Amino acid sequence: MKPATLNDYKRRLLRVLVHIQEHLDESLALEELAELACFSPFHFHRIFKGMVGESVKEHVRRLRLERAAGRLKLGAESIVCLALDAGYESHEAFTRSFRSIFGVSPSGFRSSERRARVAAAPSGLHFANGRRVKDFKTIHPGGNNMEVKIVRRAPLRVAFMRHIGPYSAVGKTWDRFLPVLGKEGLLGGDTQFIGICHDDPEVTPPGRVRYDACVSVDESFSPTGEIGVQVIAGGEYAMTTHVGPYRKLGQTYACLLGQWLPRSGRQLSSRPCFEVYLNDPQGTEPKDLLTDIYAPLAAQSRISAR
Amino acid sequence: MTKTPQEKIDLYKQHKNEYAAPGKPVLVEIKPAVYLAISGQGAPGGDQFTASIGALYGAAFTIKMTRKFAGRQDYGICKLEGQWWSDSGPDLSKAPKDQWRWNLLIRTPRFVTGEDLRKAVDVLLKRGKGEEVKQVRLETLAEGTCVQMLHVGPYDQECVTIARMKEFAENNQLEFHGRHHEVYLSDPRRVPPERLKTILRCPVRRNAG
Repeated sequence: MKPATLNDYKRRLLRVLVHIQEHLDESLALEELAELACFSPFHFHRIFKGMVGESVKEHVRRLRLERAAGRLKLGAESIVCLALDAGYESHEAFTRSFRSIFGVSPSGFRSSERRARVAAAPSGLHFANGRRVKDFKTIHPGGNNMEVKIVRRAPLRVAFMRHIGPYSAVGKTWDRFLPVLGKEGLLGGDTQFIGICHDDPEVTPPGRVRYDACVSVDESFSPTGEIGVQVIAGGEYAMTTHVGPYRKLGQTYACLLGQWLPRSGRQLSSRPCFEVYLNDPQGTEPKDLLTDIYAPLAAQSRISAR
Repeated sequence: MTKTPQEKIDLYKQHKNEYAAPGKPVLVEIKPAVYLAISGQGAPGGDQFTASIGALYGAAFTIKMTRKFAGRQDYGICKLEGQWWSDSGPDLSKAPKDQWRWNLLIRTPRFVTGEDLRKAVDVLLKRGKGEEVKQVRLETLAEGTCVQMLHVGPYDQECVTIARMKEFAENNQLEFHGRHHEVYLSDPRRVPPERLKTILRCPVRRNAG
């Protein structure tokens, strides 16, 4: 089997982009789209965002609004109907979104000769109105000069506490977790502090994001109460270091998975990514925080000699 | 203003002027300060040095988290600091690295007691975290007037910065008196040597001559 190329990744995403254009009135669930592109649902959204330059949600929303703009000019449907078609429950929300994208309100747009500005589309893709989408631009927001290392990690035993809720509140879980371990003498100079996000905080509703706060431990630690033990699998990982506040981690994930990965010749395994926190967020300025992001790579199949 | 017990103590904020890090030498007044400390001899990065850093952090984390678990006053763990000297004189560049002596430090709030430390050491020993932790002690340093300056670059280029500090001291009728002290602001595992930031500090006294 050949290593995956940028074109392979583009072809797979194109299937999704065509499907979205042709099914704008459907719910377009992420799992379904991931399956179309043969990506693991864990990683699909970040790959999409990194390659297309907008999230699936933003992309779909923009296409629906572009379609609505066309119908506003050419048809006689009421604005409320168009709002519902575009997936909005109220006239006001529709108007707000429409104006943010086109710089004019729907009624203003309909009644005047004014042309709306063209919606920003990093991928160059707009509502195709039945024509088949054949290509798209992959953006390069610094993805090409991103420093990525392929590293081999040994399996790592960790104690963890599960957090279910907004990613921005994981600090509270850490605050409960660390004292329990610390008073047992389980934190030292070589302890690794790791976060495993089982959901993408940009996709999953905040109240349902599952995140494991993890601390490396040896065999002497056994699970207790709320604290479990798991093993982070060994093997090859693509690793990059994110510099800056945790709230901007999503951008680095999107860059790694959507820009670097498609050009790397590698594919991801279906395990979740994880992040290793290199400094204490309580004694470090957010702009100086260092976080290593690890994306698990699928084993490379041997290229058969011919 | 009284602090509520939930409010976390930040020693850097409390003693901001003591951590001044300008690009040219200045005089600072360092009040007596409490540290967790461990000392030894040998090259930085050597086995004893690495084990000692592990023991020092182990003690610092365990004390802090034990207190926090019990609902006692919380605080941030400070950055690593170190005093350096050798028996052949204060100028380290003249001594072979295996004869460098060091006292590694983590600044700690005054309310941390010897009892807190003793309990932490017991817990760490029970966990099999290495015998070095028995060497960790609480130490108060009273450095007084010091020359201080930010050094940017590899640790082995510090002599250039130290020479500027020395010149500054002499111009102010002062002389170095006491151990060279540094505060590691950057993580050497991640920051390239040319960007490492380190506060250099040296106690001074009135020039006798």
